[in-house]
Amino acid sequence: MKNLLPRHYVFLGLFVLTALVMSLNIKLDVEVSENTKRLYGFIDSLPENSYLIVSFDHEASSIPEIKPIATALLKHAFSKGHKLIGLSLFSEGTLIGYRLMSEIGREYDRKYGQDYVYLGFKPQYIAAILSMGESIPKTFPKDYLGNKYSDIPILSGIENYDDVSAVLSIADGSLTTHWIEYAGMRYNIAVVAGVAAAMVTTYDPYLEAGQMHSMIGGLRGAAEYEKMLGYDGGGARAMLAQTTAHLYVILMIIIGNVIYFRNRKKGIS
Amino acid sequence: MIDWGTIVAGILTLAVLTFLYRDNPLYKMAESILIGISIGYTLVIVWQTTLVDLLFDPLFGDSRLSLLIPLILGLLMFSRFLSKYSFLSKIPIAVMIGSGAGVAIPVMIEARTMKQISATVAPLVSSSGMPDISALVVLVGVISTLIYFYFSREHKGFIGRIANLGTYFLMIFFGATFGYTVMSRMSTLIGRMEFILTDFLHLTQ
Repeated sequence: MKNLLPRHYVFLGLFVLTALVMSLNIKLDVEVSENTKRLYGFIDSLPENSYLIVSFDHEASSIPEIKPIATALLKHAFSKGHKLIGLSLFSEGTLIGYRLMSEIGREYDRKYGQDYVYLGFKPQYIAAILSMGESIPKTFPKDYLGNKYSDIPILSGIENYDDVSAVLSIADGSLTTHWIEYAGMRYNIAVVAGVAAAMVTTYDPYLEAGQMHSMIGGLRGAAEYEKMLGYDGGGARAMLAQTTAHLYVILMIIIGNVIYFRNRKKGIS
Repeated sequence: MIDWGTIVAGILTLAVLTFLYRDNPLYKMAESILIGISIGYTLVIVWQTTLVDLLFDPLFGDSRLSLLIPLILGLLMFSRFLSKYSFLSKIPIAVMIGSGAGVAIPVMIEARTMKQISATVAPLVSSSGMPDISALVVLVGVISTLIYFYFSREHKGFIGRIANLGTYFLMIFFGATFGYTVMSRMSTLIGRMEFILTDFLHLTQ
C-alpha cells in the first residue's frame, strides 16, 4: 500500500464508484435533444426500401461507445424497412460492422443479400469515397463474404450515390469529415452520423453550416435515440454511471485546485 | 459451454488496466498482442479486398492491362529499400502527392473555407426583426480568434484587447472539447466495466 500514489486512489475511487452505481441498475431519464430528433426524423421520413450506406469508420477500442450508437441507428433503419449497404473505411471496424449488422438484421428477420449487404473494407478512404461516387461496383467488386457484386440481389441497379438516399457514418475519429467533404459536397448526398463524444466539437461547425444533416454523439446521444425508439440499450444503461463519473471528475478537479492553491499559498511547489 | 472469447477478452482488459498502477510486463504483453493482431488483420484484409479484388483478379483474370500502371507504381515504392535505386520511389510518391493535392485543394476551399465563411456571416438580424444573438457571438468569436493568431502586429491596445477576447473563445472551445473527451473516455471505461462485471465475472446482470 505504501507504493500507492494519489492518482492510484483517484483511479480506485472512480472504479469503485462506477461499479457501485452500475450494480444499482437504475435508469436515468434523458431529455432528447433537437439534434437527435432531427436524425430520428430523417431516417423515419425516408420511404420504405430507401438505400442507406452505413460506414463503420472506427477502431475496435471504441466499441463501448460506438456499439450503442450503431445499434440504435441500425435498429431504426431496419425497423423502417430500409435497405442497408454496410462498409468500413477503417480496417478494425470491418468485422465489428459485419457482426453488428448481421446481429440486428437477424433481430428484425432481415435477409443478407436481400435486405442488407456488407461490402467490407477499402483502404485510402478519400479514394474509396470518390470512387464510389463514380461506381460502387468498381470500388467493391465483391462483398465481404466474397460474393460478386452483380450476384447480390439488393445491389441490383445500385451504381453510385445517385441511387442511395444517405450516408450514415459511424465514427470515432475524423473520417466522417471526408464523407461530408467528398461525398456530401461533391456528389450532393445527405450525410448523417453517429460519432464518439470526443468528436462532437469537430463536427459541430459542419452541422451549423448545413454541410452535415444531423448527428448523435456519444453514449448520451445513444441514450436519447434509444428513448425515441422506446427501448433501453447500452446508452440508457450507462447514463447514471456516466453522470456519476462526471461528477466524480468535477469533484477531483475542484479538490486538485484547492490543494494546488493552498500549497502555492504556503510556498510548496 | 465455455466462452473462450470472453475469457481472453476479460483477461486482456484486466491486463491493460494494470497500467493504471504502473507499467508492467502484463500490460506490455496485452499491448503487443493488440498491435500484432491489428497489423495482421489489416494486412490480411488489405491483401484480399484490395490487392486480390482490385488488382490481381482483374489484371490476371480479365486481362485489364491498364492495371499494370498502378502495379508498377506500387512496386516502385519498394525501391526505397535499395539505396542505389531509391530515387525511383519518388515517381509513385509524386503521383500520390500530385493527385492527392489536386483532389483535395478544391474540396478544402469549398468545404472548409467558403461554406464555413458563409455560415459565419449569417444575418445578424432574424427574419422577425430581432437580433440573432447566436450569429453575433459566432461573428465576434471568429474575428477575435483570428486576430489572436494575427502576428504581424504586436498585441497591444485595441488589437491586444480583441486578441485577449479571442483567448476566452479558445478556452471555451478547449473546455468543451476536453469535456466531450472525458465523456468519451468515461464511456469506454463504463463499457469495459460492464463487460468485466457482467459478461466476464457475472457479478451483475
